[in-house]
Amino acid sequence: MIEGIANFLTVRSMQTYVNAHDWVWPVCEMTHYVGMSLIIGVIGILDLRIMGLFKSIPIAALRPLIPWAVVGFIGNLLTGIIFVTGTNSGATFYVDNLSFQLKMLFVLLALANLLIFRFTGLERAVYATPAGASAPVAARAISAFSLVAWVLIIFFGRMLMYNDTLLLFLGR
Amino acid sequence: MLDYLQNLALANWVRSSPSIFAYSTVLTVHAVGLAIVVGVNTIIALRLLGIAPGIPLAGLRRLYSIVWIGFFINLVSGCLLFIAEAHSMAAMVAFWAKLFFVALGMIVAGLLKRLYFSDVASVQAGIVTRVGRNLAIVSLVCWYLALIVGRLTGYPDLVSGWLGLSGGGT
Repeated sequence: MIEGIANFLTVRSMQTYVNAHDWVWPVCEMTHYVGMSLIIGVIGILDLRIMGLFKSIPIAALRPLIPWAVVGFIGNLLTGIIFVTGTNSGATFYVDNLSFQLKMLFVLLALANLLIFRFTGLERAVYATPAGASAPVAARAISAFSLVAWVLIIFFGRMLMYNDTLLLFLGR
Repeated sequence: MLDYLQNLALANWVRSSPSIFAYSTVLTVHAVGLAIVVGVNTIIALRLLGIAPGIPLAGLRRLYSIVWIGFFINLVSGCLLFIAEAHSMAAMVAFWAKLFFVALGMIVAGLLKRLYFSDVASVQAGIVTRVGRNLAIVSLVCWYLALIVGRLTGYPDLVSGWLGLSGGGT
């Protein structure tokens, strides 16, 4: 199955383009880092506030920053697609890589977490929390999970270049 | 000096230990610290430039505690990464350019606190002065340039080529 997915995700024309232009890869990496910083800055601070830090800030006041995190996420999705489809080693480098698999797992968990936050009505309760007040306990748990997930996404994202080290550590 | 650093037992361990806690984790932690420093500085600057005006400025100032945490994480992880490959790092223009922009970014953060956030009347009244706005722009420029040239340290040949220096590789 992994082989099939890897074949599907290996795009010859993207590989050719990336190969022919030596600036593409580093520029995509920089963009990926910018997106990562926007997500951690916006979502990280929002999570910390919901968890009870920086209570002088009304939670709803942070809301206008969220589109910046969304832009970061979309940028990273697009540059991520370029990495996977355009790498010289073929998409199998990513698809058959435990660090990458864990990264994608936590991306999905973070998004599922976000959907729970949205559709259980917690989001509304959270944004109604004024300065000085605490968010509901369930929302704090959601935020703590979000914070851990995003840090792990960076961790496994950077670790995928050192997957052998991770496998060695796990004794595999 | 570079030889001395690079031959330290600690430097050897970071560079060549097969342990997951050596090079790979230090590098990974450095990426997390980067995201914290750049991300939180970005939020502070965006607020000063008029995005999310509902954030009280006195509360915004407190976010610097998180910037400091990220900075400390990267100071420690950055020193470890440097000693592990002192010679090749010190030979890179991109590395020194990155240190320059990081230092400038921290100085700008200090100036923001001194010249803007210490202006209690404006901060309490929710007014962002011109100094505050200008420093916010310089801060954004510094941190994103630091990020860009920092990433370029992974491409010494490419940078040499751009600068017209005799690089190896391609």
